[in-house]
Amino acid sequence: MPEDRADDVRLHERLLAGDDDALAEAYDRWSTLVHSLAMRITADHAAAQDVTQDVFVHLWQYPDRYDPHRGALRGWLCLHARSRAIDWLRRRGAQHRHHTAAAAIAPPPAEVDDGILCQTVTKVVREAVAALPDPQREAVLLAYYQGRTYREVARDLGIPEGTAKWRLRTALSRLADCLDAEGILER
Amino acid sequence: MVAHTDISDMLGAWALDGCDDTEAAAVRAHLRECADCAAQARRLRSAVGWLGTDRVEPAPAELRRSVLAAARARRPPAAWVTLTNAYADQVALLDAALADMSPVDWRRADSRHGDVRGMVGHLASNDALLAAELDLPAVPMPTTDDGRAMRVAWRTQAEAMLAGIAKADPGRTVRLAGPGQRPVRTLRDALVQRAFETWTHRDDIGAIRTIPPPEQIQRIVELAVALLPAALRVSDPAHADRAWRLVLQGSGGGDWTVPAGAARVEVTIGTDAVDFARLAANRRQPRTLPHTVHGDQELAEAILRVAATLGCD
Repeated sequence: MPEDRADDVRLHERLLAGDDDALAEAYDRWSTLVHSLAMRITADHAAAQDVTQDVFVHLWQYPDRYDPHRGALRGWLCLHARSRAIDWLRRRGAQHRHHTAAAAIAPPPAEVDDGILCQTVTKVVREAVAALPDPQREAVLLAYYQGRTYREVARDLGIPEGTAKWRLRTALSRLADCLDAEGILER
Repeated sequence: MVAHTDISDMLGAWALDGCDDTEAAAVRAHLRECADCAAQARRLRSAVGWLGTDRVEPAPAELRRSVLAAARARRPPAAWVTLTNAYADQVALLDAALADMSPVDWRRADSRHGDVRGMVGHLASNDALLAAELDLPAVPMPTTDDGRAMRVAWRTQAEAMLAGIAKADPGRTVRLAGPGQRPVRTLRDALVQRAFETWTHRDDIGAIRTIPPPEQIQRIVELAVALLPAALRVSDPAHADRAWRLVLQGSGGGDWTVPAGAARVEVTIGTDAVDFARLAANRRQPRTLPHTVHGDQELAEAILRVAATLGCD
């Protein structure tokens, strides 16, 4: 189900024009996604709400920083949410990192969704992540959820930096293939 | 110059923001020149965009309100800026008209409020109703009968209100000003009403009759049309809940059907938009208002009669 980029273009124009109904629409469409993501990274309710608020206030305040011709708004919001959530993790300090790191690199639980987010997408992403070979999943989830650089990934896992880079690249490439095969990946 | 393969190997780490700044800059520079790597980078970045979405955890419902309020506080919505500016314009125009008045002018008789001082006091007290609804600090009216002090107090309050509402939620409900029943409407409507009443009183003192821009006239008509059904139910139940149409000409004109979307109407009333706005302010009377009626004459008379009661006097 490729997203309709024309929708993003229209919504973006309305945001630029200062139409706050467009922001409400964006919030209604993607807040679950953004909040889920922030919750997954921070595992903290207050932090996840702060991140969600930051992401949508930022979209409203600086709509010109998003370019609908370069990517889907959904993806842009997710990247943004992730980066804010990682910032929060870093601010919170290193003492908690070890504990959450273990939780983050475990394969995602195969729980049943009850949310309003497109369940098929959630399922596809979960399965694609679960299908990665363990060493690749470990590397990519460390980098994704913990905001580790490839050097830190190499150190954490006791592997050469070149191997860390290769695992990250190969893991993402496989994910992209899976999502593409399901028609999810934006082109 | 960094080799293509070095960059290509780095793309996964880059897509996850996992390079240092120098490396990231080298990647970005390379992507501008290498279409293959750029396409690959987009693909990996897009995969990252989906990565965290493997679980669903909706935000608590109350977060929506606080996010939208925080956003509006940072950047007021354009439509709201337009409305607050329209009110600010009317405040400035009335203030300029009052600035020119001599002590004799201030004592000029006004049929509704004694004299101009009474009129400004009345306007300020209607403004104060909205200020109170918004929990804005009240500006006391002067105890002297000095018109100039009156003007300063009214304007101070209007300015405080403008500052206070700039960041308020336009959709929140408040009571409108007016005699008798004060309908509950949005703050948006209340602000249209404030601008409307301010214009009306500037008309009253016979200042240069600058008519508000067409958009503002249209907003006044829209508010009046929205208030009419309930007003008819209260003061003329026999003519309430009927289907009618208002076709207004001139600046701010347009076509309104009540109830909206009614397929067939019992009467169509045609007149000038600015005249209709003045009727709604009770500054024109139905019998001297040039207008046309197609359909139920009695219903048209009832509508116009009740329309003239919608203002704040």
